[in-house]
Amino acid sequence: MVAQLLGLKLRLLANTFRRRPVQVIGILIGLVYCLGATGVAMAGLSALRQVAPALAGSIAVPLGSVILLGFLLVPLAFGADDPMDPRTFALYGLPVPRLASALALCGLVGVPALVITTVAGAQVVTWARDPLSTVVAVLSGILIVVTNLLGARVSTSIASFLLAGRRAREVTGLFALAAIVSLAPLFALLASVNWDGGGLRVLKSVADVAGWTPLGAAWSAPAESASGNPGAAVLKLLIALAFAGVLWLSWRGLVALMLGRPARLESNTVGAGLGWFGWFPTTSAGSVAARSITYWVRDPRYHAALAAATVAPVLFLIVLSVAGVPIHVLALLPVPVICLFLSWAIHNDVAYDSSALWLHLASHTPGWADRVGRVVPALLIGAPLVLIGSPISAVLYGDSEVTPSLIGVSSSLLLAGLGVSSVFSARFPYPSVRPGDSPFAQPQSTGTGAGIIQSVSLFATVGLSLPAIWLALQGLVRAGDNGWAVASLLVGVGLGLVLLVAGILWGGRIFTRRAPELLAFTLRY
Amino acid sequence: MAQPTAAPVPADSPTRVAPSDQIALVVSDLVKRFGDTIAVDHVSLTVPAGTLYGIVGPNGAGKTTTLSMVSGLLRPDGGSVSVSGADVWSDPGLAKRNMGVLPDRLRLFDRLTGRQLLHYAGTLRGLDARTVKQRSSDLATAFGLEDSLGRVVSDYSAGMAKKIAIACALIHSPRLLVLDEPFESVDPVSASNITAILQKYVAAGGTVVLSSHSMELIQRVCDLVAIVVNGRVLASGTMAEVRGTGSLEERFLELAGVDKTGEGMEWLHSFSD
Repeated sequence: MVAQLLGLKLRLLANTFRRRPVQVIGILIGLVYCLGATGVAMAGLSALRQVAPALAGSIAVPLGSVILLGFLLVPLAFGADDPMDPRTFALYGLPVPRLASALALCGLVGVPALVITTVAGAQVVTWARDPLSTVVAVLSGILIVVTNLLGARVSTSIASFLLAGRRAREVTGLFALAAIVSLAPLFALLASVNWDGGGLRVLKSVADVAGWTPLGAAWSAPAESASGNPGAAVLKLLIALAFAGVLWLSWRGLVALMLGRPARLESNTVGAGLGWFGWFPTTSAGSVAARSITYWVRDPRYHAALAAATVAPVLFLIVLSVAGVPIHVLALLPVPVICLFLSWAIHNDVAYDSSALWLHLASHTPGWADRVGRVVPALLIGAPLVLIGSPISAVLYGDSEVTPSLIGVSSSLLLAGLGVSSVFSARFPYPSVRPGDSPFAQPQSTGTGAGIIQSVSLFATVGLSLPAIWLALQGLVRAGDNGWAVASLLVGVGLGLVLLVAGILWGGRIFTRRAPELLAFTLRY
Repeated sequence: MAQPTAAPVPADSPTRVAPSDQIALVVSDLVKRFGDTIAVDHVSLTVPAGTLYGIVGPNGAGKTTTLSMVSGLLRPDGGSVSVSGADVWSDPGLAKRNMGVLPDRLRLFDRLTGRQLLHYAGTLRGLDARTVKQRSSDLATAFGLEDSLGRVVSDYSAGMAKKIAIACALIHSPRLLVLDEPFESVDPVSASNITAILQKYVAAGGTVVLSSHSMELIQRVCDLVAIVVNGRVLASGTMAEVRGTGSLEERFLELAGVDKTGEGMEWLHSFSD
């Protein structure tokens, strides 16, 4: 059976190239890139042979840990179309242990296997300095290959089996986002490191920690041996072996599970009650608000917007801290920035409804009620954030007197921004991701103007908040004079409220007048 | 073209046709252009209260475009629509209050559960929570959706989604129902179920305008019928007037001029083996 499955795998591999020439060229480019990267890693690891064991370990262990993380996370985050899915063989009635081992062996054929085997071989070159280290390095190399390939198998199966449901898929998309986001600080860290002196210290501390985890243990064992710590080397080999064992058991368990239950049944029942609808008055505005909140909770497109609102300040902080802005000043930023992006999140809300908007037309929902309802979720998130987040930020800043300014600026960005969005989503909708599509999918047609509308609505919000921002800055510069901060609070909240009401009324009038055109717009895309 | 239906009713036709002073819907000279093509070309219809009015026509005849303009979802280029005397485009508040709508191929707010969608449709129409709750459970029973109200609508089958959408159109007990393809992708049992609900509604004085591809069904359930081809009404009136001695389908094929099917496809008959 193993021979047959290996033959199948080879046939699948060969068929990769039986496509249209353009695709084959693309595959070849990818392949060359992949082999190039492998070549660089191989050359680098071979060169480390000339370097002191401590330094070589500080470089090799983080590299190996990142590679294993990639093998584990990439299939989870982006899903994988797996032609050797165990379920494909469910109908042949093969015994689970044999199928599991055969499929695992098939993992040895393919580009990932080639890459990891080459790299594992190269690290033997790095460490073949004395007999004991050579033996340890060879054992480590075997463990590296096994761990990476089994890890990829396990996480591919988890992605295609356990995460196959609709709701789970939505969550995985967010995993991918989280992965990308968590890489950002890493890059910022790398950028901020002074490579002349401090850089190696950072790498060494990463290596010290990772070396005792399953991620880097196999890579660290030969380094310990070469540094004259055979005891630690054996211990780390055992850690790596145990991890490989765990992966093997998970793989067998998964195969058994997948063969036994070919299709996963998802329980679709959300609840017998009315959910958010029970909490809101049965007016038009109340119903639209309940509907909006339900969508913010259930629709991954809104999750993505919320994630963006939280990620944006993180990126701001990283960039500014790299640029050398003191930490206590940075503490002032997150709340206003989140408020800005929170209010901006609904500037294309009508397009998110797609053609379901007809219900508002057919029931002659007043424009202002539609606008009010859409604003409510952002207000419900934003208001507590401003009230709780501002004092905390002020404490972190080191001066509680800035609290009124912070509340003023944040409220202004939130309220004025919601007013701006209320007008923009009625007047300037642009194609968005359709309901049910992945939040990271590209809309079918972006047309022109999406970028302009996005930036104009964002800058309009900032522009309308300038009075509060200016007053707050005065308060910061002239410390001790509390009047500026209070003025910022009053102007921010007052002007914000006026702009919100104005935006809702104006946007509502546009909505009432243009409702059929809005519906026609949603039908075009 | 569109004939007034006050004329003496032939003996063999259903006699539920109301007198002409109770007109539920008047469509006059409705026009819609999409670029160079005229999708709806001066369509006029008069629908008396208490009737089931069927609109039939081939694909692309302009049925959906007409019904969209009637229900206030698509702005016409010309003509007028009035529901119980209120113009849909100049007095939409009153006209839309009296109208329940099922559009074809438009999305629903399908991240809501069935119960939430019904509640949403009801409260947008100004009903209070208790009324909505009671009517939702009645509608769910009538459409066989009791066990599905707690599920998210995007997980419904096409037929179930159609049924919950019809229930949403009914929930505010409108005087006029405008249903575009209400039987599409609905199973036969549910279809006869829906038909029975509609017939009871009409017997109580309600009015239904519906479009369908199924001639047999329209002929069976509708009192009045209009045949629309290429955006024009080719025949309209009571079922008996329109179909004459044959079936509705024969009359339709005759008017639509589609008896040339299969011409130029002789190669299909010389099997290539």
